Amino acid sequence: MKKPPDLQRLEKMLRASRLAAKGFLGNDPRALSEIIEQDLSELARLGYTKEHIATRMQELTDLGRHGLGTPVTVEEDMAVTVDEHRGQIVCPWPHAGRYAKTVTLVHRSDTDEQLCWSDLSIHLVGRHGFFQGRGSPFRLDPAQLVRILYRT
Amino acid sequence: MTIVLPVLVISGIGATLALLLVLAERFIANYGTCRITINDEKQFSVQGGRSLLDALADEKLFVPSACGGRGTCGYCKVKVLDGAGPLLPTEEPYLSDQERASGVRLSCQVRVRNDIKLELPRALLEVREYACTCSEMTDLTRDIKQIRLQLEDPAKLAFVPGQYIQLLSPPYANVEEEVYRAYSVSSDPADTSAVELIIRLVPGGICTTYVFEHLKPGHAVRINGPYGEFRLSETDRPIVFIAGGSGMAPIKSMLHHMQNTNCARPAVFFFGVNRAEDLFLLDRMKTFEQALPEFRFVPVVAQPDEAWAGEAGLVTEAVRRHVTEAAGREAYLCGSPGMIDAAVAVLRELGMPETQIFYDKFE
Repeated sequence: MKKPPDLQRLEKMLRASRLAAKGFLGNDPRALSEIIEQDLSELARLGYTKEHIATRMQELTDLGRHGLGTPVTVEEDMAVTVDEHRGQIVCPWPHAGRYAKTVTLVHRSDTDEQLCWSDLSIHLVGRHGFFQGRGSPFRLDPAQLVRILYRT
Repeated sequence: MTIVLPVLVISGIGATLALLLVLAERFIANYGTCRITINDEKQFSVQGGRSLLDALADEKLFVPSACGGRGTCGYCKVKVLDGAGPLLPTEEPYLSDQERASGVRLSCQVRVRNDIKLELPRALLEVREYACTCSEMTDLTRDIKQIRLQLEDPAKLAFVPGQYIQLLSPPYANVEEEVYRAYSVSSDPADTSAVELIIRLVPGGICTTYVFEHLKPGHAVRINGPYGEFRLSETDRPIVFIAGGSGMAPIKSMLHHMQNTNCARPAVFFFGVNRAEDLFLLDRMKTFEQALPEFRFVPVVAQPDEAWAGEAGLVTEAVRRHVTEAAGREAYLCGSPGMIDAAVAVLRELGMPETQIFYDKFE
C-alpha cells in the first residue's frame, strides 16, 4: 500500500542526515510504521508503555545532571552520567520543540550493561513511540532498555 | 507507429507543462527588484523571491544560523520594521510574545517580496565570511581536538577575546546539506592571520563528525564571524574564570589578551574535568602563569586516581572552597548550561553580585 505523502516525508527526514550525522533509522530496512509497531508490541509484552519508559528516562537524566558530566550513583548498581553539548536539535516530526544536545549514559555495574540516550530520544520515545532504527547510534532496544532501567 | 504516437503525445504534454512552469516562475512568482534598508542607513537591492537570510548573505551580511536556513534552529532572528508580511506558522515556535510584538522574525522564513526595512545590531554589520585552510589539527583528548584555520580571503580576522565564529560543515558521506555551528575562538587575538578552535565531539553531531572524521590539514574551510558579547570588562576587579572541557576556548583567548597587554588583574582559572587524562594545554597554562604573575591555573579532577595530588571533586566545589572576597571579583564562565547554572549559584552564595558574573552558555 502506498504511504501517505506526510509519512513519506517523515521517513525521508528520518533516514537522511539532516538533523543527526547518521540519521535516525540506521540501516534498518523496515518501514517506520513497522519499526514503531514492533517496538511498542515488544514493550507491551514486557508490561510497559512508552510513557512509562520516557518518564523513567527523564527521571534518570534529571538525577544525573547534578554530576555536571561525572557519574552519579542513582541506585545500587546504577550510575548515570549526563553530558551537555553546545546547541539544540529539533524533532524530525513536523511540530515545534527544540531539545538540548544532552547525552545520558546509564551503566549497570551488576550486569556491566550500558545504554545512552539524548534529550530528543526521550521525546521520541514518549511522544512518538520511536526507539530509532537498528544501526542508528541512538537505537534503544526495548528489551534492553527495560532490563537496564528497571533492574529486572 | 502505435507506440510512437502515444510517446510523442506524452512528451508533448510534459514539454508544455514544463514551459508553463517556466512562464509561471517568470511572471507570477517574479517579485521584481526589492530594496532592503538596514538601520535607515545601508540600502541595497535584491531580486525578490529569496529568503531574507540568503539576500543578506549575498550582501555579505551574515546572520547566525545553525540549520542552513531550514527553519529548525531559531538563531537567525532579525527585527523587521516593515515589509515582511504576516508571521508564518514555521516561525511561531521560535518567537516569544515580546519578540513578536517588536517585529522580530526568522530571516530564513521571510521571503523578500517587497521593500523591507530592518534593524540589525551594529556588531552584525561587522561580520564577514572567510575562506580558510585548515593548517593544523591536534588531539587534545580522546574527544577534543584543536584546529588551526589559516585565513586566506580576507587574510585577517580581528576579534574580541570571548567571541565566536560559525564553522561551515560541508556535505559529506550521507550528509547532503551544509550546516553552520558556533565555536568560541581560542587563539591569540593579536594573531589576526588565523583562528584556533577547541572542538569536542558530539555523538551524532553533524559538524563535529565532519571535523573528527573528514577534515584534514590542507582542506579548505569556510567560517563567518565574529559574533558574541562575551568579553572581559574594562574594570580592575580580580577575575575568577570557570570552565569545563572545550569551554576553555574563550578563556584561553582572554588569557592571551591579558598577557599581550601585561594585565595586572589577579585571576584564577578553575578548569574542571572528569579524569586526569581529560586535562589538556597544561603547558600553555603554565606559560600564562609565568607571564602573568597574578594568574593561577587550578585544574579540578572529578574522579581522580591515586596519583592525582591536585584539587578533586566538581569544579563548583573547588570554587566554593577557594574563592574569597567574591563580592569584589568578577567571574567569566564557559561551559554547559548545567555547569554554568551550578557555578552561578555558588558564586551568588559567596556574595558575588549577578551583574559581575558573565557567561557563554552552550545553548
